[in-house]
Amino acid sequence: MSFLTPWFLAGALAIAGPILFHLIRRSARERQHFSSLLFLTPTPPRTVRRRKLEHLLLLCLRCLCLLLLAAAFARPFLAKDMPAPAASDSGRQVVLLLDTSASMRRPGFWDKARSVANQYLTQFGPADTVAIMAFDREPRPLVSFSEWSSWPLGQRAELARARLAAISPGWLGTALGLALTTAADQFRSGAGPNPPVAHREVVLISDLQEGAQLEGLQGHDWPADTRVRVERVEGPPQSNAGLEILEPAGTAGPENNIRVRVTNSRDSRKDKLQLNWRDKPGGPMEVYVPPGQTRTFPAPKPPAGMATGVLELTGDDVNFDNLSYFAAPAVENVKIACLGTETAQDAAGLLYYLTRVFPQTPRRKVQFASLGTNAASATDLLNRASFAFLPGPLTPEQCAEVRAWLKNGQTALLVLTNIQSSPTLAALLDLPQVNVSEASADYALLGEIDFRHPLFAPFDDPRFNDFTHIHFWKHRRLEIPGGVKSLALAKFDDGSPALTQITIGQGTLLVLAAGWNPAESQLAVSSKFPPLMETILEWTGGGVPARRQFHTGDTIPSPNSPATTVEWQKPDGTNTSLPAGTPFPDTDTPGIYHAVADGKIFSFAVNLRLEESRLAPLSADELARLGVPLGTSGDQTVAPKIERQRQLQRAELESRQKLWRWLIVAALAITFGEVLLSGSLSRQVAAQKAIP
Amino acid sequence: MNSFGDLGLVDAKALMAIRTLELRARVIVEGFWSGLHRSPFHGFSVEFTEYRPYSPGEDTRYLDWRLLARSDRYYLKKFEDETNLRCQLLVDQSRSMNYRSLAYSKSDYARTFAATLAWFLHEQGDAVGLFTFDEQVRDYFPPRHRKGHLRQIMLALEREPSGRSTDLVAPLRRVAEMSRKRGLIVLLSDLLVPIAPLEQALVRLAAAGNEIVVFQVLDPSELSFPFDRAMLFRDVENQQDFYIDPVAVRAEYQRRMEAHRESAEGVCRKVGAAFYRITTDHPMDLALRDFLRARSRRGRMVRRRTQPVSAP
Repeated sequence: MSFLTPWFLAGALAIAGPILFHLIRRSARERQHFSSLLFLTPTPPRTVRRRKLEHLLLLCLRCLCLLLLAAAFARPFLAKDMPAPAASDSGRQVVLLLDTSASMRRPGFWDKARSVANQYLTQFGPADTVAIMAFDREPRPLVSFSEWSSWPLGQRAELARARLAAISPGWLGTALGLALTTAADQFRSGAGPNPPVAHREVVLISDLQEGAQLEGLQGHDWPADTRVRVERVEGPPQSNAGLEILEPAGTAGPENNIRVRVTNSRDSRKDKLQLNWRDKPGGPMEVYVPPGQTRTFPAPKPPAGMATGVLELTGDDVNFDNLSYFAAPAVENVKIACLGTETAQDAAGLLYYLTRVFPQTPRRKVQFASLGTNAASATDLLNRASFAFLPGPLTPEQCAEVRAWLKNGQTALLVLTNIQSSPTLAALLDLPQVNVSEASADYALLGEIDFRHPLFAPFDDPRFNDFTHIHFWKHRRLEIPGGVKSLALAKFDDGSPALTQITIGQGTLLVLAAGWNPAESQLAVSSKFPPLMETILEWTGGGVPARRQFHTGDTIPSPNSPATTVEWQKPDGTNTSLPAGTPFPDTDTPGIYHAVADGKIFSFAVNLRLEESRLAPLSADELARLGVPLGTSGDQTVAPKIERQRQLQRAELESRQKLWRWLIVAALAITFGEVLLSGSLSRQVAAQKAIP
Repeated sequence: MNSFGDLGLVDAKALMAIRTLELRARVIVEGFWSGLHRSPFHGFSVEFTEYRPYSPGEDTRYLDWRLLARSDRYYLKKFEDETNLRCQLLVDQSRSMNYRSLAYSKSDYARTFAATLAWFLHEQGDAVGLFTFDEQVRDYFPPRHRKGHLRQIMLALEREPSGRSTDLVAPLRRVAEMSRKRGLIVLLSDLLVPIAPLEQALVRLAAAGNEIVVFQVLDPSELSFPFDRAMLFRDVENQQDFYIDPVAVRAEYQRRMEAHRESAEGVCRKVGAAFYRITTDHPMDLALRDFLRARSRRGRMVRRRTQPVSAP
């Protein structure tokens, strides 16, 4: 038997009343008024009998009447006709989401987080399905729903604890938005043939720092009936500031300023901080950053020629983010080999314009080398260059050397300035002949350009893609034989290719069918010429200055080197060999990383993200504002439907059975009997009281 | 009717069923008269009022000065003392008098008996007064012989008593102060008080020359103490509770009650008062007869003062 309103059963406590009244009435009834006690002496009372309850039947009737009334008000019903519970017994689906970002490295935080997670693990019932995820820069699953379900019932919590014990906070940032949306998506992937669950809950165990990235939360489509419960890991209030060395624009050294960005957390109570190069001479530099602000300062002057260094921040309470590593940027020397007879001083030639189109920057120096200078042979010249410029006909020996160089994966640009370049092209392609003829038209314009190709992709914008005003007074018609792997990147309006990409071995030969000198065309004086040449140089891989400052989790591009493998060394001393050109992904620790290629050492600095230093607590309202369904599964909004439905079923069953009526009838019958019995007893008492 | 009915007496229970107090008194007195062919007290209160010539030596206080002024003759005017008996009825109306084991209480009985006496004496032409008291004096009617006066007494006796405790000393002292003339004083009370104060009060009344008759009115259960179960007994006057096992204390109670009666009777004898104990199941005719018998026995003993008839 069940009760619709069981709290009315507390009314059964009222039976204490009749019991009390029976005791009280007994003493009251046995009192006799008498005219005077002048001649009477008291006798000691015999208390044994007074403790007994008399009229037990009457008392039982009264108590039974009260019990029946209480039971009737509690509205009993027989639950055997109740439909079988559906969803509510199928348990909960819970995703435990643990923050393992660098801010959780603060003392005590990770222990608390793991303790909270363990508490949750002990609370889960056999019907609950649990997934555990850790997140920092990106979420990673520790235990999936299916894995949890496959574990034996009694060992689930222990196995999950073992997984938790194996992880610890790293040095990465906090991508909270990505983690929450990924956790919520677990419910979608876990749905399907399984029975519907009563509650879906994401338990976020995190320090909820202000620097967490919340991208992706706004507008996210949360699964139905999903709630996010926030278990905030907190510690004593502490002041914290962080720093980040900015990528220098030029080479490091006394003449270049290294700038450092310092941020002070919003809840910080200290605003005077010190910056100092670790293990380097020189006193600390004091900076002032008010709480909640970020300011940029020139770093303390480093020693001359310092390749790597560690800048240390002091003055705050939290230490995990007080070091910033620095690797001095190297100058990118780009060498372009020029084969041919042209000189850079000949204004009618091509080289004159080419040498002037690449600006000399502090991070990149472009050098042109020709056979006339100090190169013994073309091969020697080419091996020291990253790009070759071929302005005119070459000797057959040079052609052979260039072809061999190209086959190793290099790039060269051949400009067909006249039809005499035809044998050179044929030799480079290792063909007996390539048809190159002088075009007869007055001038030609570029008619068709493949903007999807990386060379022209930067121009793929309506503002930049107009090449039609560039006149080509002379150009050559090139006919590539069928067996050659080539791609026409741009064509003249007569249909002949203007710029053609030809693959030779692993290398690439770009063939331009007209010169850019004023006698040939307006290309050199066009605004398109510098970006096009820059793009070609970058495409060859030699033009981009290499970054030296990275964040944890970033991939470090492989340094430019003719070597086939690059040996990477992490700050902890572990070495990894990767093929040349493969970026290094394993930047999980701040520090100085070294790449050794072809005997040269390239140093890179990997630092913590500055956002991770903003430790002020993030308000839960901010999450709610972004649409995160905060709350617990126990409240009315999470699983109200099933409980309401069950309540309605109970009410309907109770109203159909109406057992309370029978209880009321029984109570009335007992009351009637009680009246009769008590009347009879009172008459007896009155008769006893009458004086015989 | 009980056994007393066979003797031609009115049963107390039947009598108390009559609602009006005056009617009850009349029933008793008339029944009493019809049983008497010749009253030994006939002419007991013959009154005469006359003028007679003044003789020298007589008290001049009774000289009729008006007649003297009008006719220049000396006549003595007889003092207007209508009766030769002044009876003061003292009725105890304390809370203990409300006790009952019958259908009526001691107070009902005592008031009925007082009304009967008043009626009887009034019929004889005697002056009757009433004095009700509990711990203090409640009603006071001086002895007079008037039709309306009897009526007032009846009404006063009709009122239910509302007293608490019994204090005989103060009310009886008050009676002695207020009754300047000697007469008959009839005290109706259960006398459930200590003897010493009672004696003190009676002595004071007797010293004033009054003739005293004491009726101790008790409930039958106060004599027999018929309770059989141990329980709390509450004194109706001072609300004191005693847990009493009646079986154990009954004999002692009756002994003390008898001792108390003897003491009270001794005190009455000492002061020359008549003492009668009546219970509420006792026929009132007998009580009245006892009263008259006491009156006749003590008739010669009472020093009756006649008004001086002396010339100035």
